[in-house]
Parts: sequence; C-alpha cells; structure tokens
Amino acid sequence: MTEKYGIIASFPDTPSFFHAAEKVRDAGYKKWDTYSSFPVHGMPEAQGQARSKVPIFTFLGGITGFTVGLVMVWWMNAYDYPLIVRGQPFFSPVFPFPIMYELTILLAAFGTLGGMFITNLLPQHYSPLFNSEQFLEVSGDRLVIAIEARDAQYDVVATRQFLEEIGGTDIEEVSA
Amino acid sequence: MSSDTTNSRGKQVGLIALVVGIVGIVIALFGFKQGWDSGEVRPMMSWLIALGFWLSIAIGMLFLVQIWYVFHARWPTIIRRQCEHFMAAFPYLLVLFLPLLAIPFFHENPGLLWKWMDGHNELPGHGTVAEDPLYAWKSPFLNIPFFTIRAIGIFVVFIGVATLLRKWSFDTDTTGNINNTHNARRLSSLGLFLTAIAMTLGSIDWFKSLEYHWFSTMYGVWFFSACIRAALASIIILTVILACKGYLKGILKQAHRYDIACMMLAFTVFWAYISFSQYFLIYSANIPEETFWYNIREKNFDGALNSWWWVSMGLIFGHFLTPFLLLLWYKTKVVVWRTVGVSIWILAFHLLDLYWNIIPGKLVAPDHAPGYIVRQFSISIYDLAALIGIGGICIFAMCRSMKKAEPIPVRDPNILTSINYTE
Repeated sequence: MTEKYGIIASFPDTPSFFHAAEKVRDAGYKKWDTYSSFPVHGMPEAQGQARSKVPIFTFLGGITGFTVGLVMVWWMNAYDYPLIVRGQPFFSPVFPFPIMYELTILLAAFGTLGGMFITNLLPQHYSPLFNSEQFLEVSGDRLVIAIEARDAQYDVVATRQFLEEIGGTDIEEVSA
Repeated sequence: MSSDTTNSRGKQVGLIALVVGIVGIVIALFGFKQGWDSGEVRPMMSWLIALGFWLSIAIGMLFLVQIWYVFHARWPTIIRRQCEHFMAAFPYLLVLFLPLLAIPFFHENPGLLWKWMDGHNELPGHGTVAEDPLYAWKSPFLNIPFFTIRAIGIFVVFIGVATLLRKWSFDTDTTGNINNTHNARRLSSLGLFLTAIAMTLGSIDWFKSLEYHWFSTMYGVWFFSACIRAALASIIILTVILACKGYLKGILKQAHRYDIACMMLAFTVFWAYISFSQYFLIYSANIPEETFWYNIREKNFDGALNSWWWVSMGLIFGHFLTPFLLLLWYKTKVVVWRTVGVSIWILAFHLLDLYWNIIPGKLVAPDHAPGYIVRQFSISIYDLAALIGIGGICIFAMCRSMKKAEPIPVRDPNILTSINYTE
C-alpha cells in the first residue's frame, strides 16, 4: 500500500465548503473534486468547471436521427421498393418529415443519455475513495474535497498544509 | 432622485412615440384614402399587417401574463409588470381597427378588403360571391353584422381582461392587498379560455377570411404560436432597453433573460410544428379547396414559381431553422446582444409571416382569361408608415402606463423570488 490516490479534507458547513472549493480552484489544482450528498448551487462555477459537453452529444444524436430518417424513407420508398402513394412523388422532403423529426428527437435523447454517461465517466462501480471510512459518510452529512495524486501540483506535504489553511479538517491520505 | 429623471425621460420617449405615431398614421391613412377612392386594396392590407403585428405582441403578452398567474409562476414577476404596461395598448388598437371596420359600412364595395362582404364581387372562374355555394354554406358565420359583433366581442375580451389584470396588479403596489393576486389568478383561469377564443376568432375573421374558400382548423393555433413568439421577442428587447436605461438595472438578471430565451426556443419549434402540420395535413389530403391556398403561395396559374415561393423558403429557413439553431447555443440565450439580435430577427420574420398570410390572393385575370392571377409580394411605403404609426401609438400607450405604477410590482407576494431568481 505505497501508492496513494490523494488527500481528502472535510468541511464543517456548506459556505466554508463552497469557499474552500473556490480557493482550490484559484490555487490552480486540476485533478480534484467536491463531494456532498446534496447539490450546492453555483458549485460548478466555484470549481471552475467549463459548461457541460452533453449538448454536443445531443446535437450529434439529433443530426444523426434526422439523416437516418431521411435516408431510410428515401431508401425504402424511392430506391429499394418504389411505391406510389396518392400520386405523390417517390421521394419529397415533405412526407418523411414526421419520421425525420421523431428520429431526431429519439436519437437526440439517446445522445443526451449516452453523453451524460460518457462525460461523467459512468458506469463506475469502484473508486479508491471508498478505502476511506470517513469518505463513506459523504452520503450522510459530510462535505469532502479530494485532491488527487495525479495532479501536477500535488505534493504530500504542501497539499495537506494547503487543505489545512483553507479550513479543512479530518485530513486523510487515501490509498489507491 | 433617479426615479424623477427616469420618469421625465419616459415622458419624453412617450411624447416622441406619440408624434412619430401620428405622423406614421397620417401617411398610412393617406394611402388608405387613396386605396379607398381607387378601389385598390393593398394600402388596406398594409394597415391590416401593421395592426396584426402590434396586436399579436399585445395578445401574446396577455396570454403569457395569464399563464404565469395560473401556474403561479414566481420568476417572471418583474417581467409581468412590463407586459402589463404594454397591454395598455389594447384600447388604442381598437380605435386603430375602426378604419378597417369602416370598409363594409361606408365603402361602395363593402367587400374591398374581405371580398365575401360583397355578393357582387367576382371570383376567378366561379362567377360571383353570391353564386358561390361555398359562400352560401359559410354565410351564417361570414356576414357583416356577425363579423361586427365578433370584432366588438374580441376587443371587449382583450380590453376587459387586460384592464382588470392591470388594475389589480397596480393596486397591489399601494395597498399590498393579497386579494388582488387571488382575483387575478381566478380571472386568468377563465380569461385564458376567453382570450384563446377571441384570438382564434380574430385570426379567422381578419386574416383567414381574406381567402374565405379555404379550410384549416389549425389557423388559430398558428396565430397563437405567432403571438407568443412575437411577445417573447418583444419582452427581451423591451426589458433589455429598460435595464440599460435604469428602470430594471440590477433587477433584470441573466436568469430571467435565459428563461425567456428558452421559451423563445420552445415556441420557435412550436411555430414550426404547427405551420408544418397545417401544410402536411393539406398536402396529404390533397383536396383542391384546401391546396389552392398553398399553391398560390408557391406558383402562378401557369405553374411558374412566383415571389411567394421565395418568401415561403425565407420563412422555413429564416423563421424556423436560423433562430432554432442559434437558440440551441447556451451563449445565444445569455449574451445580451446575441439574445437581442435573435429577438429582432424573429420579429422581422414574424412580420414576413404576416405578409405571407395576408397578401397573397387569387384575382380575376384581365379580360376574364381562364385561371387567375396571384397578388404578388411587395413592400410599400404605407406598410412602413402603418407599422411605425401604430407602433408609435402602442409605445406611447406603454410609456403613459409606466407613469402610473412602479417599474416592478414592489408588493407582489412573489417579488422577492423573482428578484433573487437564479438559473
């Protein structure tokens, strides 16, 4: 057990937790996260996170759905088995439209769901943080900031000291 | 005190709007008079388009305010007040509707604008209106007395609901009486039905009956979606101007703009959904009584593409696709100049949508040649004059109302939630 995952520190209340996150952000750490059992408004900004990338997946899913609907109706009605319905043309952008937008919505929803899983690195059944007894209390009332060892600025002594300075308690090194 | 300076500035804006409005209306009425004398209908359509444009904004705001009341929405409380100010325009819009109502009563051809109003009017290839079996079927609804009664009823609903909502909301500023909020909520649950019926009848009477042969059960919903889009875009422009000028400085937050912009996105899709569904049903059924309405918006009698084809394409790509793609971006919904830009864009295309719905018509071909000719797209100086004129009067009405009440409903039970609103 020589390898370490990182250092965790607990905070007594939400405001100090929130402001500590801002200080970690300002200190320039990149590989770190906050853990609480409830959402804290404004936390993404306090952590310096960029906006979610999920909309890109949604958009790509939507575009794919639109194209698939268009090509599918063209292939079925105009190419593979040309079909005359009500004397209308074999293919026109008008009548496949319901198919096109239904598939746009469906695949946009799939894109959103998939994008959420991908950007959140899910499914993830195990985290080294579970090695810490106190970390398990996060699902109760504990508020934790964890700075990971793979961060470029990570230093066992300096990071521990830094977490103490910003008001962290119960500081613990977690093994990987 | 800054409120004095903003008040006097508001007074100035109101006065300028009044002068500009009167000048615009005089020019537009000059065109109206010329059309009246020569039997040329286009200047009357300018008036109808301009009236429809400003009316649609006011109706949209009336809907939004009532929807917010019914759903107990807290966040838009500061925006609601601006809508209430704009709703002061309804009585003026009634007066501005009267020139159009004068045509069936005082013109030698009562059917100059709405051709079904005169049985002698000739139809392309059909004889006259009086001989038209479709008119005979529709005449219990489409006749001048009932049309007049409906027009009055429609404005009674708009003015009545708007006046009561304004009165109660303004009264809360001074008395803080909670019953005002309860009353407004109660009225809104009934008023939404009344407003919806009035708006549907208005769109059918004033726009759809221009080509009275046509059938479409989706027309009222189309106008509803158009009204809401126009109102949301106007709300963005109006509140951003007010925030710049000090009225809403520090009160209008990014979160408010973001939510209105989200609704703009939703109703952009809704407008496209409704407009396409109307087209799609008629395309699928393929019945001549219905398809002609779209045919004349695409082709002339000889089958050549006409000016409306370009307008139709402009609506698909400009009124739907462009704002839709732009509003998908988060930045468009929070960066002020981008949101305002999209709002102006939507209002411009909303105007084009009204042109597209109002102007095209089947006219008797010269020398009674077979077929028909289509009234083509055109922009006249009277369009601009009527638009600026009626708009000036609406803005004057709004500025006048702003003097009567606080810039935000200071004692509304939801005001704190609205002021502290975050995304």
